[in-house]
Amino acid sequence: MSSSYGDINVSGGIGLDSESAPFNLELARRNSMIERQGMKLPRYLKTGTTICGVVYANGVVLGADTRSTNGDTVADKNCEKIHYIAPNIYCCGAGTAADTEATTNMVASALNMHRYGTNGRTSRVITALTMLKSHLFKYQGNVSAALVLGGFDINGPHLFTVYPHGSSDSLPYATMGSGSLAAMSIFEAGYKENMTKEEAMKLVADAIKSGVFNDLGSGSNVDLCIITKEGKEYLRNYECPNPRPYASQSFSFAKGTTPVLRSTMLTLKDVVVEEGADAMEVGA
Amino acid sequence: MSYNGGAVIAMTGKECVAIACDLRLGIQNQTIATDYRKVFRVHDKLFVGLSGLATDMQTLSQRFAFRHNLYKLREERNMKPTTFANLVSHMLYERRFGPYYAEPVIAGLDENNQPYITGMDLIGAMAPASDFVVAGSSSESLFGVCESFWKPDMDAETLFETLGQCILTGVNRDCLAGWGAAIYIITPTGITAKTLKGRQD
Amino acid sequence: MGESAYSFSLTTFSPSGKLVQIEYALNAVSQGATSLGIKAKNGVVLATEKKTPSPLVDESTVQKIVNITDNIGFVYSGMGGDFRVLVRRARRTAQAYYDVYKEAIPVSQLVREVAAVMQEFTQSGGVRPFGVSLLVAGNDGLGHGPQLYQVDPSGTYFAWKASAIGKNMVNAKAFLEKRYDASVELDDAVHTALLTLKEGFDGELTKEKVEVAVVGDDGQFTVLSQDRVQDYLAETD
Repeated sequence: MSSSYGDINVSGGIGLDSESAPFNLELARRNSMIERQGMKLPRYLKTGTTICGVVYANGVVLGADTRSTNGDTVADKNCEKIHYIAPNIYCCGAGTAADTEATTNMVASALNMHRYGTNGRTSRVITALTMLKSHLFKYQGNVSAALVLGGFDINGPHLFTVYPHGSSDSLPYATMGSGSLAAMSIFEAGYKENMTKEEAMKLVADAIKSGVFNDLGSGSNVDLCIITKEGKEYLRNYECPNPRPYASQSFSFAKGTTPVLRSTMLTLKDVVVEEGADAMEVGA
Repeated sequence: MSYNGGAVIAMTGKECVAIACDLRLGIQNQTIATDYRKVFRVHDKLFVGLSGLATDMQTLSQRFAFRHNLYKLREERNMKPTTFANLVSHMLYERRFGPYYAEPVIAGLDENNQPYITGMDLIGAMAPASDFVVAGSSSESLFGVCESFWKPDMDAETLFETLGQCILTGVNRDCLAGWGAAIYIITPTGITAKTLKGRQD
Repeated sequence: MGESAYSFSLTTFSPSGKLVQIEYALNAVSQGATSLGIKAKNGVVLATEKKTPSPLVDESTVQKIVNITDNIGFVYSGMGGDFRVLVRRARRTAQAYYDVYKEAIPVSQLVREVAAVMQEFTQSGGVRPFGVSLLVAGNDGLGHGPQLYQVDPSGTYFAWKASAIGKNMVNAKAFLEKRYDASVELDDAVHTALLTLKEGFDGELTKEKVEVAVVGDDGQFTVLSQDRVQDYLAETD
């Protein structure tokens, strides 16, 4: 028995089931056939990415750059890579953009259901980690999401990295993505135990900027997210070290510059609903 | 994406938004049609452009229409642009390992008549933008012209001229796109559809 | 359902055109503790009696009003186990809607989906109808204001200004018909709700014996703490 939204099925079952509907593979055979015939598969959006996080005295700071790429082209100059998992848990994503988005959404959704089933008790970071890695492991690395997961729960602050194949590490400071080496160099030089919030924020922002300026896959701005016992502070575009260096006002086209063959107009105000009008005669 | 060719751009203005496509349909280097529109109306304030494999563009546009019609019957309202974008993203990611070969571009006005545009890759990774989004066989050159021609807070007329220049200039060096273009300018009071004259080679 | 020998529907028409299984289900509902809902100008209140079969039951663990989403809640009269099945279905439906549209499900859509599940159990093989009626309260910020629905075992549903279900529903409804005022504030609606319950309650209505929830203009459906309920009870005396 199932209720449905169009062709999406919503099956019944136990509350803890974190798995969404399996992927639809209808087109896979056709696609491999046309690829064999020489058509190139369009590229997926990637987040080249520098993401990182540190644990400090009373919380976790997560950081991310904001560039998304399509091959060598910058597809989005200001995308969001720090994803919501739960009010007390956030997750930075690197890899195929759709995979990081969908995977974190799925876990956020499962944890929300889990909270409803457990009297609204605060979600634990370890639960999110387990859901993420079991999903990624199941797809053997084909769901290409490399994550930095951070949060604060009943057991204090936590920071994990998750690899696309489903392995994970628990670390005091962590980096991921193509800019991970650049970011890690900053962490290795500057990390101290029990930093203050300000020290931790500066360290993370510096690590991200190291990726922004030294890794081609990363760029634009710095996003931060600080999670403590008290809650979260999401600082979108905390730093914008790459403003557009030139004005965009230089072109203006006079009316009629563009050659028009035909033009039709639908004025929305023309649509009048007549109250109490006679019904249209239909049929014989 | 170079099997059928094509180009789509969406662009924002002040309380208006516009979406344009070229008119060519080809099978590799052979041109099949020169009046092939790649932009579809979802409702009066929401349009979706598709570029990629023509068969998948058609299937998708039909499935979008189906889902929106069903939504309208159930909820007695039109979808907001963001709602529609999330639906499209969901529909594409469902086929993560057997995707439709098409990249959608969504353009619409929200309930406060503020423009919303977003691009997406073929598996539904959204890339919403405040300025413009492009898709198609010549996306690099489309990015180039839009990056120089776009400016904030254009009125509907300026938006039309700017987008017109962008689509015509953008496909000028693309063998697989062109043969004129179609533009839809969406404002709070109405939609204007214009067919543009482009080179025929 | 399955292809077993029992996969025919138990709910079949009587010669007079009635579905007696559904009527029996309604009987189960009218044996349950009274629940009611009142729509105010700026919100909805749900309230229910919390009667335990024995004084030995720990009342503090019994929860009869639940959140389905942040802005929608259910209360029931009838069979607790059946209610939990519907709650789980409803929460999944709401979450599935959110996963597709990244937008909260409208109250009317959730009600329709839950009613569809209840209808399905009147026609499917190997199952029986749900022994519950639901009151659904919510505020989805879509311009419809606060909303109150009742869903019955048959799968029919209506929007109400105020309604009552369960053991004392007839008296409670008569009481509400007299007292109802559409222009009333949420606080006063809570008072009316408690007065209505008091009217038909055996013994003294204490904070342990009642559960109250509200959804206001803020669109947050909240089950009130016992302290809050105590305050309201004191004000109705």
